[in-house]
Amino acid sequence: MSAISPYFLHIGVMTGIFVLLAQSLNVMLGYSGLLSLATPAFFGMGAYASALLTLRLGWDSSLTLICASAVGALSGLALGVPSLRLSRHSFVIVTLSATLLLQLVASNWIGLTRGALGIADIPTVHLFGMPLAGKSAWLAFMAALSVVGVAATWLIVSSRLGRAMIAVRDNEPLAIAAGIDPLKIRLFAFACSGALAGLAGACYAHYLSFIDPGIFGFSISESLLVMVILGGAGTLWGPVAGAVIFTILPEALSMAPEVKSLLYGVLLLLIVLFMPQGMARWFGRQVAAGAGTGK
Amino acid sequence: MDVSMLLQFLANGVSVGLGYGLAAVGLALVFGILEQVNFAHGEIYMVGAFTLWFLGQSAGVPYWLGYPVMVVAMAAFGLLLAEVVFLPTLHRPFETVILATLAVSIILQNLVRLVFGATPLHIDSPLDGMTLELGGVLFFGQRIFVSVVAIVALAGLVAFLRRTETGRAMRAMAQNKDACLMVGIDIRRVTRITAAAGAALCALAAGAMAPMFDLYPNMGTDVVFKSFAVVIIGGMGNISGAMLAGLLLGVAESFASGMLGATYRDGVGFTLMIIMLLLRPQGIFGKSVRV
Repeated sequence: MSAISPYFLHIGVMTGIFVLLAQSLNVMLGYSGLLSLATPAFFGMGAYASALLTLRLGWDSSLTLICASAVGALSGLALGVPSLRLSRHSFVIVTLSATLLLQLVASNWIGLTRGALGIADIPTVHLFGMPLAGKSAWLAFMAALSVVGVAATWLIVSSRLGRAMIAVRDNEPLAIAAGIDPLKIRLFAFACSGALAGLAGACYAHYLSFIDPGIFGFSISESLLVMVILGGAGTLWGPVAGAVIFTILPEALSMAPEVKSLLYGVLLLLIVLFMPQGMARWFGRQVAAGAGTGK
Repeated sequence: MDVSMLLQFLANGVSVGLGYGLAAVGLALVFGILEQVNFAHGEIYMVGAFTLWFLGQSAGVPYWLGYPVMVVAMAAFGLLLAEVVFLPTLHRPFETVILATLAVSIILQNLVRLVFGATPLHIDSPLDGMTLELGGVLFFGQRIFVSVVAIVALAGLVAFLRRTETGRAMRAMAQNKDACLMVGIDIRRVTRITAAAGAALCALAAGAMAPMFDLYPNMGTDVVFKSFAVVIIGGMGNISGAMLAGLLLGVAESFASGMLGATYRDGVGFTLMIIMLLLRPQGIFGKSVRV
């Protein structure tokens, strides 16, 4: 592996992180039909949780990775309880606001997060006492975790609960008539989404060894929406393909962040406006089903 | 903490709150009539403020001329937004519009960042430094101006919606789109006018408030964040609700930053929003008295 340049290895690791994040959004947008902008919130919660548990309490990082995932899932539940009862319009707004609020908290709770200075010197992940040293080890680790993430998504969506999730997405009144509680199913989906993003956040923190409140920024949602929607929300491999393409592409073209975001914006607008069949496939069936309770 | 201090917080809060209300009313109008959430609303504010700065700095246009010119330009931008986003998506699920307006917001933010850079800019106003003292409370010129603009604009909007044929058509569309088609209301025209009016209201707020704060490319995020909170607290699509909720948010923020410290100011909107969502998801007024 040593023949591969560290730069390519780095892109590979980031691709793995984005595969997990894309599946986190996919569980919500694709399989539950809910546009959630809270994935960066869970990502950041996982990153800060794992970093702080390792640095402050000296916990072993193989344990904190699991904790980060749990923190993500709990954040999903905590946010889901107030937001999932709302109309689907309000749901989108609340998920975005929650992410911005967490960024504010991370910037201002200096005692815990060191604010804008960020947390540095986060140790690398130790697996069974062995540190993951070097980028090639990280690449192998992230590749394995991505496979686990995709497999977990597949298990979730093909389970009984996952089929209920899809039923609620496709026709809510019919699902209710079949005895499914939409709120519980959506809470479950939100928790799964949170767990995947929390895990990705922990990996990001330990891999880069530095995090700051920018991790909650909207630019992550921006990339994820392009990856998931262009890749194909509600399919298992579409978002994976999207994550691979749109992590590698900006690097390959060595774009400035502003240019990259600009391109993503234009791309998102074009997909949404000119691929109506695609959009209809993901959202169209819900029109007949009507919106959530608050509408 | 004496009484004049508290009155000072109240005065500051009321003026900023009226500005928040004005910025949020445009969002509430678009939601109430088109049932669309405009995620590019904050960027209208941001582009408006940068346009005003550009007019003043590069073209030497005085504030009193630049302000109306900018509002007209942003109303035209609202029309463009209607053509590009709202009209092609009239019969599509609402997620389409949210994603499309999100995309527009990403495009505008990064264009402005590329053109103007990330250094904060400042707009000078002829009212800078003007103050009026009444009973120990200082009223700043720009803040009085914001309050006057907000009240006049809201009164104008209500009169427009109640008295004119177009206003009635807009209210009809808020109630029932299909029935509008049956009685021959041109839905596409109402959509254009609504988008332009929403953008103009937001630009009015931007022009009046911009000299009080620094300008930076992602300032729109803060505005849209607060506007969303205001619209949810006041009841989605409820115009008078948005104005009152804006006032409430301004006053609450002013007291929070005065008594707890400035870092608590930005969390107030979200906290109020969450409390409202838990206790009364339809907002203070709900949608029954929409316009």
